[in-house]
Amino acid sequence: MTPAADSALLHKADPLSLQHTGSATPQETLSERKRRFEKLVLPHFDAAYNLARWLTRNDQDARDVVQEAVLRAYRFFEGLRGEAKPWLLAIVRNSCLTWLAANRPAGTVGFEEGAVELVPSDEDGPETLVARNFDRRMINDAIAGLPAQFREVLILRELEDLSYKDIARIADVPIGTVMSRLARARRLLAESVRAASPAIAAAQVAK
Amino acid sequence: MTNDEASSLLNAYIDGELGPAKTLELEAHLAENPPLRAACGRLREMSEAVRLKADYHAAPAGLEARVRAAIPADEKDRSARPVRWAWPKPGVSLAAAVDWLRPAASLAAVALVTWVVALGYLRPSEDERITQEVLASHVRATLTSRFFDVASSDQHTVKPWLSARLAFSPPVSDLSASDFDLIGGRLDYIGAQPVAVLVYKRRQHVIDVFVWPSEIRQSEQTETRDGFNVERFSRNGMSFWIVSDLNRDELADLGRLLAERSAAP
Repeated sequence: MTPAADSALLHKADPLSLQHTGSATPQETLSERKRRFEKLVLPHFDAAYNLARWLTRNDQDARDVVQEAVLRAYRFFEGLRGEAKPWLLAIVRNSCLTWLAANRPAGTVGFEEGAVELVPSDEDGPETLVARNFDRRMINDAIAGLPAQFREVLILRELEDLSYKDIARIADVPIGTVMSRLARARRLLAESVRAASPAIAAAQVAK
Repeated sequence: MTNDEASSLLNAYIDGELGPAKTLELEAHLAENPPLRAACGRLREMSEAVRLKADYHAAPAGLEARVRAAIPADEKDRSARPVRWAWPKPGVSLAAAVDWLRPAASLAAVALVTWVVALGYLRPSEDERITQEVLASHVRATLTSRFFDVASSDQHTVKPWLSARLAFSPPVSDLSASDFDLIGGRLDYIGAQPVAVLVYKRRQHVIDVFVWPSEIRQSEQTETRDGFNVERFSRNGMSFWIVSDLNRDELADLGRLLAERSAAP
Protein backbone atom coordinates (compact mmCIF):
# COMPACT_ATOMS: atom_id res chain seq x y z
CA MET A 1 0.00 0.00 0.00
CA THR A 2 1.26 3.47 -0.80
CA PRO A 3 2.01 6.09 1.84
CA ALA A 4 -0.62 8.28 0.20
CA ALA A 5 -3.25 5.59 0.66
CA ASP A 6 -2.22 5.06 4.23
CA SER A 7 -2.59 8.73 5.11
CA ALA A 8 -5.98 8.78 3.46
CA LEU A 9 -7.53 6.46 6.00
CA LEU A 10 -10.15 7.85 8.32
CA HIS A 11 -8.84 6.20 11.44
CA LYS A 12 -5.26 6.11 12.42
CA ALA A 13 -4.01 3.95 15.20
CA ASP A 14 -4.51 6.20 18.20
CA PRO A 15 -4.02 5.91 21.93
CA LEU A 16 -6.88 3.84 23.25
CA SER A 17 -9.74 5.65 24.85
CA LEU A 18 -10.38 5.07 28.51
CA GLN A 19 -14.14 4.79 28.41
CA HIS A 20 -14.14 1.20 29.66
CA THR A 21 -11.65 -0.27 31.97
CA GLY A 22 -11.17 -3.51 33.80
CA SER A 23 -9.31 -1.87 36.66
CA ALA A 24 -10.78 -2.78 39.99
CA THR A 25 -11.57 -0.39 42.78
CA PRO A 26 -9.57 -1.40 45.84
CA GLN A 27 -12.69 -2.51 47.77
CA GLU A 28 -14.13 -4.66 45.02
CA THR A 29 -14.84 -8.26 46.05
CA LEU A 30 -14.32 -11.20 43.75
CA SER A 31 -18.02 -11.70 43.12
CA GLU A 32 -18.38 -8.00 42.23
CA ARG A 33 -15.45 -8.39 39.87
CA LYS A 34 -17.10 -11.41 38.27
CA ARG A 35 -20.40 -9.55 37.87
CA ARG A 36 -18.64 -6.61 36.23
CA PHE A 37 -16.79 -8.98 33.91
CA GLU A 38 -20.03 -10.70 32.95
CA LYS A 39 -21.72 -7.39 32.22
CA LEU A 40 -18.87 -5.87 30.23
CA VAL A 41 -17.29 -8.81 28.44
CA LEU A 42 -19.75 -11.69 28.15
CA PRO A 43 -22.18 -9.84 25.83
CA HIS A 44 -19.48 -10.57 23.22
CA PHE A 45 -19.50 -14.31 23.85
CA ASP A 46 -21.09 -15.13 20.48
CA ALA A 47 -18.53 -12.97 18.67
CA ALA A 48 -15.77 -14.82 20.52
CA TYR A 49 -17.18 -18.17 19.47
CA ASN A 50 -17.73 -17.04 15.87
CA LEU A 51 -14.11 -15.95 15.53
CA ALA A 52 -12.77 -19.08 17.21
CA ARG A 53 -15.00 -21.27 15.04
CA TRP A 54 -13.81 -19.60 11.82
CA LEU A 55 -10.16 -19.73 12.83
CA THR A 56 -10.16 -23.33 14.06
CA ARG A 57 -12.78 -24.46 11.50
CA ASN A 58 -14.00 -27.01 14.04
CA ASP A 59 -16.78 -26.89 16.66
CA GLN A 60 -15.06 -28.83 19.41
CA ASP A 61 -11.81 -26.90 19.02
CA ALA A 62 -13.75 -23.62 19.11
CA ARG A 63 -15.46 -24.65 22.36
CA ASP A 64 -12.17 -25.44 24.03
CA VAL A 65 -10.48 -22.30 22.78
CA VAL A 66 -13.34 -19.98 23.79
CA GLN A 67 -13.56 -21.45 27.26
CA GLU A 68 -9.83 -21.04 27.75
CA ALA A 69 -9.82 -17.55 26.23
CA VAL A 70 -12.65 -16.26 28.41
CA LEU A 71 -11.01 -17.57 31.57
CA ARG A 72 -7.77 -15.96 30.47
CA ALA A 73 -9.62 -12.71 29.80
CA TYR A 74 -11.00 -12.85 33.34
CA ARG A 75 -7.52 -13.34 34.73
CA PHE A 76 -6.27 -10.28 32.86
CA PHE A 77 -9.44 -8.25 33.31
CA GLU A 78 -7.46 -5.41 34.90
CA GLY A 79 -5.72 -4.98 31.56
CA LEU A 80 -8.93 -4.00 29.74
CA ARG A 81 -8.73 -0.51 28.27
CA GLY A 82 -11.17 0.84 25.71
CA GLU A 83 -13.89 -1.29 24.14
CA ALA A 84 -14.40 -4.78 25.52
CA LYS A 85 -15.19 -6.47 22.19
CA PRO A 86 -11.85 -5.99 20.38
CA TRP A 87 -10.06 -6.65 23.66
CA LEU A 88 -11.81 -10.00 24.09
CA LEU A 89 -11.42 -10.92 20.42
CA ALA A 90 -7.69 -10.20 20.56
CA ILE A 91 -7.43 -12.69 23.43
CA VAL A 92 -9.53 -15.22 21.52
CA ARG A 93 -7.37 -14.80 18.46
CA ASN A 94 -4.17 -15.34 20.43
CA SER A 95 -5.69 -18.34 22.18
CA CYS A 96 -6.55 -19.77 18.76
CA LEU A 97 -2.97 -19.32 17.59
CA THR A 98 -1.53 -20.92 20.71
CA TRP A 99 -4.05 -23.73 20.59
CA LEU A 100 -3.56 -24.43 16.91
CA ALA A 101 0.21 -24.40 17.27
CA ALA A 102 -0.03 -26.99 20.05
CA ASN A 103 -2.76 -29.19 18.62
CA ARG A 104 -3.08 -28.61 14.88
CA PRO A 105 0.33 -27.51 13.61
CA ALA A 106 -0.98 -27.37 10.02
CA GLY A 107 -3.69 -24.92 11.11
CA THR A 108 -1.30 -22.08 11.87
CA VAL A 109 -0.12 -21.83 8.29
CA GLY A 110 -1.05 -18.44 6.95
CA PHE A 111 -0.92 -16.52 10.23
CA GLU A 112 2.71 -15.59 9.85
CA GLU A 113 3.57 -12.34 8.18
CA GLY A 114 4.24 -12.84 4.50
CA ALA A 115 3.25 -16.50 4.51
CA VAL A 116 1.16 -15.75 1.46
CA GLU A 117 2.71 -13.61 -1.18
CA LEU A 118 0.79 -10.45 -1.87
CA VAL A 119 0.99 -10.54 -5.64
CA PRO A 120 -0.90 -7.64 -7.19
CA SER A 121 -3.24 -9.26 -9.70
CA ASP A 122 -5.15 -7.67 -12.56
CA GLU A 123 -8.43 -5.95 -11.95
CA ASP A 124 -11.37 -8.27 -12.31
CA GLY A 125 -12.31 -8.65 -15.92
CA PRO A 126 -15.80 -8.61 -17.40
CA GLU A 127 -16.13 -12.36 -16.70
CA THR A 128 -16.39 -11.62 -12.96
CA LEU A 129 -19.32 -13.32 -11.34
CA VAL A 130 -22.30 -11.56 -9.92
CA ALA A 131 -21.84 -12.19 -6.22
CA ARG A 132 -25.55 -12.40 -5.46
CA ASN A 133 -25.67 -15.69 -7.38
CA PHE A 134 -23.29 -17.40 -4.98
CA ASP A 135 -24.89 -19.86 -2.63
CA ARG A 136 -24.15 -20.20 1.05
CA ARG A 137 -22.08 -23.32 0.82
CA MET A 138 -19.88 -21.82 -1.88
CA ILE A 139 -19.24 -18.71 0.20
CA ASN A 140 -18.58 -20.69 3.38
CA ASP A 141 -16.20 -23.09 1.65
CA ALA A 142 -14.35 -20.23 -0.01
CA ILE A 143 -13.86 -18.38 3.29
CA ALA A 144 -12.77 -21.55 5.08
CA GLY A 145 -10.20 -22.07 2.33
CA LEU A 146 -8.63 -18.61 2.75
CA PRO A 147 -5.23 -18.41 4.44
CA ALA A 148 -5.77 -17.55 8.10
CA GLN A 149 -4.42 -13.99 7.98
CA PHE A 150 -6.98 -13.09 5.30
CA ARG A 151 -9.76 -15.16 6.84
CA GLU A 152 -9.51 -13.38 10.16
CA VAL A 153 -9.68 -9.83 8.77
CA LEU A 154 -12.59 -10.80 6.52
CA ILE A 155 -14.59 -12.36 9.39
CA LEU A 156 -13.89 -9.42 11.69
CA ARG A 157 -14.90 -6.92 9.02
CA GLU A 158 -17.93 -8.58 7.41
CA LEU A 159 -19.39 -10.68 10.22
CA GLU A 160 -18.42 -8.63 13.26
CA ASP A 161 -18.63 -5.28 11.46
CA LEU A 162 -15.53 -3.99 13.20
CA SER A 163 -13.58 -0.89 12.11
CA TYR A 164 -10.10 -1.14 10.62
CA LYS A 165 -8.77 0.30 13.85
CA ASP A 166 -10.31 -2.49 15.94
CA ILE A 167 -9.23 -5.16 13.47
CA ALA A 168 -5.68 -3.79 13.57
CA ARG A 169 -5.73 -4.09 17.32
CA ILE A 170 -7.03 -7.66 17.26
CA ALA A 171 -4.71 -8.95 14.50
CA ASP A 172 -1.82 -6.92 15.94
CA VAL A 173 -0.88 -5.28 12.62
CA PRO A 174 -0.90 -1.68 11.32
CA ILE A 175 -4.16 -0.31 9.87
CA GLY A 176 -2.63 -0.15 6.39
CA THR A 177 -1.99 -3.89 6.58
CA VAL A 178 -5.62 -4.49 7.56
CA MET A 179 -6.69 -2.65 4.42
CA SER A 180 -4.37 -4.53 2.10
CA ARG A 181 -5.24 -7.88 3.65
CA LEU A 182 -8.92 -7.16 3.32
CA ALA A 183 -8.46 -6.24 -0.34
CA ARG A 184 -6.52 -9.42 -0.89
CA ALA A 185 -9.08 -11.50 1.02
CA ARG A 186 -11.92 -10.24 -1.18
CA ARG A 187 -9.96 -10.89 -4.33
CA LEU A 188 -9.01 -14.41 -3.26
CA LEU A 189 -12.59 -15.05 -2.31
CA ALA A 190 -13.83 -13.97 -5.74
CA GLU A 191 -11.26 -16.18 -7.44
CA SER A 192 -12.09 -19.13 -5.23
CA VAL A 193 -15.81 -18.87 -5.84
CA ARG A 194 -15.28 -18.42 -9.53
CA ALA A 195 -13.17 -21.58 -9.66
CA ALA A 196 -15.84 -23.47 -7.73
CA SER A 197 -18.67 -22.52 -10.06
CA PRO A 198 -17.73 -23.08 -13.69
CA ALA A 199 -21.40 -23.48 -14.59
CA ILE A 200 -22.36 -20.05 -13.35
CA ALA A 201 -19.23 -18.55 -14.88
CA ALA A 202 -20.06 -20.08 -18.25
CA ALA A 203 -23.61 -18.82 -18.06
CA GLN A 204 -22.40 -15.31 -17.35
CA VAL A 205 -19.83 -15.34 -20.09
CA ALA A 206 -22.54 -16.40 -22.52
CA LYS A 207 -24.63 -13.34 -21.73
CA MET B 1 -5.68 10.95 -8.38
CA THR B 2 -4.09 8.18 -10.44
CA ASN B 3 -5.98 5.08 -11.43
CA ASP B 4 -3.71 2.90 -9.27
CA GLU B 5 -4.25 5.06 -6.23
CA ALA B 6 -8.00 5.09 -6.80
CA SER B 7 -8.23 1.31 -7.08
CA SER B 8 -6.11 0.86 -3.94
CA LEU B 9 -8.65 2.94 -2.03
CA LEU B 10 -11.75 1.03 -3.15
CA ASN B 11 -11.85 -1.32 -0.16
CA ALA B 12 -11.50 1.47 2.39
CA TYR B 13 -14.16 3.37 0.46
CA ILE B 14 -16.79 0.62 0.54
CA ASP B 15 -15.98 -0.02 4.19
CA GLY B 16 -16.59 3.63 5.06
CA GLU B 17 -13.02 3.98 6.28
CA LEU B 18 -11.90 6.72 3.89
CA GLY B 19 -11.59 10.30 5.15
CA PRO B 20 -14.05 12.88 3.74
CA ALA B 21 -11.53 14.63 1.48
CA LYS B 22 -10.34 11.39 -0.13
CA THR B 23 -13.92 10.19 -0.46
CA LEU B 24 -14.88 13.23 -2.54
CA GLU B 25 -11.77 12.89 -4.63
CA LEU B 26 -12.37 9.20 -5.26
CA GLU B 27 -16.03 9.72 -6.11
CA ALA B 28 -15.08 12.34 -8.69
CA HIS B 29 -12.63 9.85 -10.17
CA LEU B 30 -15.22 7.03 -10.21
CA ALA B 31 -17.71 9.29 -12.04
CA GLU B 32 -15.29 9.52 -14.98
CA ASN B 33 -14.09 5.92 -14.94
CA PRO B 34 -16.80 3.32 -15.73
CA PRO B 35 -14.51 0.22 -15.42
CA LEU B 36 -13.39 1.31 -11.95
CA ARG B 37 -17.01 2.05 -11.05
CA ALA B 38 -17.95 -1.50 -12.10
CA ALA B 39 -15.06 -2.93 -10.03
CA CYS B 40 -16.31 -0.94 -7.06
CA GLY B 41 -19.82 -2.35 -7.56
CA ARG B 42 -18.49 -5.92 -7.67
CA LEU B 43 -16.51 -5.32 -4.49
CA ARG B 44 -19.66 -4.13 -2.74
CA GLU B 45 -21.54 -7.16 -3.96
CA MET B 46 -18.86 -9.51 -2.70
CA SER B 47 -18.92 -7.81 0.66
CA GLU B 48 -22.72 -8.03 0.78
CA ALA B 49 -22.68 -11.68 -0.25
CA VAL B 50 -20.34 -12.55 2.63
CA ARG B 51 -22.42 -10.58 5.12
CA LEU B 52 -25.65 -12.20 4.01
CA LYS B 53 -24.54 -15.72 3.27
CA ALA B 54 -21.51 -16.66 5.37
CA ASP B 55 -22.40 -18.63 8.51
CA TYR B 56 -22.37 -16.68 11.73
CA HIS B 57 -21.42 -19.26 14.33
CA ALA B 58 -23.24 -18.26 17.47
CA ALA B 59 -22.03 -20.06 20.59
CA PRO B 60 -23.71 -23.46 21.10
CA ALA B 61 -26.40 -23.64 23.77
CA GLY B 62 -25.03 -24.11 27.25
CA LEU B 63 -21.44 -23.15 26.45
CA GLU B 64 -21.72 -19.67 27.93
CA ALA B 65 -23.35 -21.02 31.10
CA ARG B 66 -20.55 -23.56 31.43
CA VAL B 67 -17.86 -20.91 31.02
CA ARG B 68 -19.65 -18.60 33.46
CA ALA B 69 -19.68 -21.38 36.01
CA ALA B 70 -15.96 -21.90 35.51
CA ILE B 71 -15.16 -18.27 36.37
CA PRO B 72 -14.12 -18.17 40.02
CA ALA B 73 -16.25 -15.90 42.24
CA ASP B 74 -15.37 -17.46 45.55
CA GLU B 75 -13.75 -15.04 47.97
CA LYS B 76 -11.51 -17.85 49.13
CA ASP B 77 -10.04 -18.30 45.67
CA ARG B 78 -7.09 -15.99 46.10
CA SER B 79 -5.29 -17.18 43.02
CA ALA B 80 -7.60 -15.14 40.81
CA ARG B 81 -6.40 -11.79 42.12
CA PRO B 82 -3.50 -10.36 44.05
CA VAL B 83 -3.84 -10.57 47.81
CA ARG B 84 -4.48 -7.06 49.06
CA TRP B 85 -3.29 -7.25 52.63
CA ALA B 86 0.25 -8.11 53.52
CA TRP B 87 1.95 -10.19 56.15
CA PRO B 88 4.04 -8.20 58.64
CA LYS B 89 7.09 -6.94 56.80
CA PRO B 90 10.49 -8.40 57.68
CA GLY B 91 11.54 -5.02 59.12
CA VAL B 92 8.85 -5.22 61.79
CA SER B 93 10.14 -6.62 65.06
CA LEU B 94 9.25 -10.10 66.28
CA ALA B 95 7.42 -8.60 69.26
CA ALA B 96 5.14 -6.68 66.92
CA ALA B 97 4.44 -9.88 65.03
CA VAL B 98 3.52 -11.66 68.28
CA ASP B 99 1.27 -8.74 69.22
CA TRP B 100 -0.43 -9.14 65.92
CA LEU B 101 -0.81 -12.90 66.32
CA ARG B 102 -2.21 -12.86 69.87
CA PRO B 103 -5.65 -11.39 69.07
CA ALA B 104 -5.81 -13.56 65.99
CA ALA B 105 -5.18 -16.68 68.07
CA SER B 106 -7.80 -15.83 70.66
CA LEU B 107 -10.27 -14.99 67.91
CA ALA B 108 -9.62 -18.42 66.40
CA ALA B 109 -10.15 -20.08 69.79
CA VAL B 110 -13.47 -18.27 70.28
CA ALA B 111 -14.56 -19.26 66.80
CA LEU B 112 -13.70 -22.91 67.49
CA VAL B 113 -15.65 -22.99 70.77
CA THR B 114 -18.63 -21.27 69.15
CA TRP B 115 -18.59 -23.80 66.37
CA VAL B 116 -18.47 -26.82 68.71
CA VAL B 117 -21.27 -25.41 70.88
CA ALA B 118 -23.34 -24.55 67.86
CA LEU B 119 -23.01 -28.13 66.61
CA GLY B 120 -24.61 -29.37 69.84
CA TYR B 121 -27.49 -26.94 69.51
CA LEU B 122 -28.00 -27.28 65.81
CA ARG B 123 -28.23 -31.05 65.86
CA PRO B 124 -31.73 -31.26 67.43
CA SER B 125 -33.09 -28.75 64.94
CA GLU B 126 -33.00 -31.49 62.30
CA ASP B 127 -35.31 -33.55 64.56
CA GLU B 128 -37.45 -30.49 65.14
CA ARG B 129 -37.86 -29.96 61.43
CA ILE B 130 -38.86 -33.59 60.88
CA THR B 131 -41.30 -33.41 63.78
CA GLN B 132 -42.99 -30.48 62.11
CA GLU B 133 -43.03 -32.19 58.74
CA VAL B 134 -44.59 -35.43 59.99
CA LEU B 135 -47.14 -33.45 62.00
CA ALA B 136 -48.02 -31.38 58.94
CA SER B 137 -48.39 -34.51 56.85
CA HIS B 138 -50.69 -36.10 59.45
CA VAL B 139 -52.83 -32.97 59.81
CA ARG B 140 -53.07 -32.56 56.05
CA ALA B 141 -54.23 -36.15 55.67
CA THR B 142 -56.83 -35.62 58.41
CA LEU B 143 -58.12 -32.35 56.98
CA THR B 144 -58.54 -33.74 53.49
CA SER B 145 -59.63 -37.22 54.67
CA ARG B 146 -57.00 -38.54 52.30
CA PHE B 147 -55.27 -41.01 54.56
CA PHE B 148 -53.92 -43.47 52.08
CA ASP B 149 -52.92 -44.04 48.47
CA VAL B 150 -53.50 -47.75 48.84
CA ALA B 151 -56.43 -48.88 50.98
CA SER B 152 -55.99 -52.35 52.37
CA SER B 153 -55.97 -54.12 55.68
CA ASP B 154 -53.69 -56.73 54.15
CA GLN B 155 -49.98 -56.22 54.85
CA HIS B 156 -49.20 -58.32 51.76
CA THR B 157 -50.92 -55.73 49.62
CA VAL B 158 -49.60 -52.61 51.33
CA LYS B 159 -45.95 -53.65 51.53
CA PRO B 160 -45.42 -54.46 47.83
CA TRP B 161 -47.34 -51.36 46.80
CA LEU B 162 -44.97 -49.17 48.84
CA SER B 163 -41.86 -51.13 47.89
CA ALA B 164 -42.62 -50.67 44.21
CA ARG B 165 -42.64 -46.89 44.66
CA LEU B 166 -39.72 -46.41 47.04
CA ALA B 167 -36.01 -47.16 47.04
CA PHE B 168 -36.51 -49.29 50.16
CA SER B 169 -38.94 -51.84 51.49
CA PRO B 170 -40.68 -50.71 54.70
CA PRO B 171 -41.58 -53.30 57.33
CA VAL B 172 -45.38 -53.66 57.43
CA SER B 173 -46.82 -55.57 60.38
CA ASP B 174 -50.26 -57.01 60.92
CA LEU B 175 -51.16 -55.82 64.43
CA SER B 176 -54.87 -56.55 64.30
CA ALA B 177 -54.44 -59.07 67.13
CA SER B 178 -53.40 -56.12 69.32
CA ASP B 179 -56.31 -53.98 68.14
CA PHE B 180 -54.27 -51.82 65.78
CA ASP B 181 -55.92 -52.26 62.41
CA LEU B 182 -53.92 -51.58 59.28
CA ILE B 183 -56.12 -49.55 56.92
CA GLY B 184 -53.66 -48.60 54.18
CA GLY B 185 -50.48 -46.81 53.19
CA ARG B 186 -49.37 -43.68 51.38
CA LEU B 187 -46.26 -41.92 50.19
CA ASP B 188 -44.96 -38.61 51.44
CA TYR B 189 -41.82 -36.52 51.39
CA ILE B 190 -40.12 -35.92 54.74
CA GLY B 191 -36.60 -34.69 55.52
CA ALA B 192 -35.81 -34.32 51.81
CA GLN B 193 -36.62 -37.93 50.94
CA PRO B 194 -39.62 -40.02 49.90
CA VAL B 195 -40.97 -41.98 52.83
CA ALA B 196 -43.55 -44.68 53.49
CA VAL B 197 -46.56 -43.90 55.67
CA LEU B 198 -48.42 -46.87 57.19
CA VAL B 199 -51.88 -45.98 58.39
CA TYR B 200 -53.37 -47.81 61.38
CA LYS B 201 -56.59 -47.26 63.22
CA ARG B 202 -57.64 -47.88 66.83
CA ARG B 203 -61.27 -47.04 67.61
CA GLN B 204 -61.80 -43.73 65.78
CA HIS B 205 -58.16 -42.63 65.97
CA VAL B 206 -56.06 -42.64 62.85
CA ILE B 207 -52.38 -43.35 63.42
CA ASP B 208 -49.66 -42.47 60.87
CA VAL B 209 -46.43 -44.43 61.01
CA PHE B 210 -43.70 -42.77 58.94
CA VAL B 211 -40.86 -45.09 57.95
CA TRP B 212 -37.62 -44.39 56.10
CA PRO B 213 -34.09 -45.74 56.07
CA SER B 214 -31.70 -43.83 58.27
CA GLU B 215 -28.20 -44.40 59.58
CA ILE B 216 -28.84 -42.36 62.70
CA ARG B 217 -29.69 -44.49 65.73
CA GLN B 218 -32.46 -42.83 67.60
CA SER B 219 -33.47 -43.40 71.18
CA GLU B 220 -37.17 -43.80 71.96
CA GLN B 221 -38.83 -40.47 72.53
CA THR B 222 -42.38 -39.31 72.97
CA GLU B 223 -43.63 -35.77 72.89
CA THR B 224 -46.90 -33.95 72.66
CA ARG B 225 -47.32 -31.21 70.15
CA ASP B 226 -50.51 -29.26 69.37
CA GLY B 227 -52.65 -32.03 70.84
CA PHE B 228 -50.93 -34.75 68.85
CA ASN B 229 -48.55 -37.27 70.24
CA VAL B 230 -45.34 -38.01 68.39
CA GLU B 231 -43.41 -41.17 69.16
CA ARG B 232 -40.13 -42.00 67.50
CA PHE B 233 -37.43 -44.66 67.52
CA SER B 234 -35.17 -46.48 65.12
CA ARG B 235 -34.74 -50.19 64.39
CA ASN B 236 -32.63 -52.07 61.87
CA GLY B 237 -31.56 -48.95 59.98
CA MET B 238 -35.12 -47.64 59.77
CA SER B 239 -36.49 -44.52 61.42
CA PHE B 240 -40.06 -44.74 62.74
CA TRP B 241 -42.10 -41.63 63.52
CA ILE B 242 -45.61 -42.27 64.83
CA VAL B 243 -48.15 -39.45 64.90
CA SER B 244 -51.71 -39.59 66.23
CA ASP B 245 -54.23 -37.97 68.53
CA LEU B 246 -54.35 -41.32 70.34
CA ASN B 247 -53.23 -41.08 73.98
CA ARG B 248 -49.55 -41.46 74.78
CA ASP B 249 -49.79 -44.83 76.51
CA GLU B 250 -51.56 -46.53 73.65
CA LEU B 251 -49.23 -44.90 71.15
CA ALA B 252 -46.26 -46.19 73.17
CA ASP B 253 -47.81 -49.66 72.97
CA LEU B 254 -47.92 -49.40 69.19
CA GLY B 255 -44.32 -48.23 69.15
CA ARG B 256 -43.27 -51.21 71.20
CA LEU B 257 -45.15 -53.62 68.95
CA LEU B 258 -43.67 -52.15 65.79
CA ALA B 259 -40.19 -52.25 67.29
CA GLU B 260 -40.58 -55.91 68.21
CA ARG B 261 -41.84 -56.90 64.78
CA SER B 262 -39.11 -54.94 63.02
CA ALA B 263 -36.33 -56.26 65.23
CA ALA B 264 -36.64 -59.78 63.86
CA PRO B 265 -35.73 -59.72 60.18
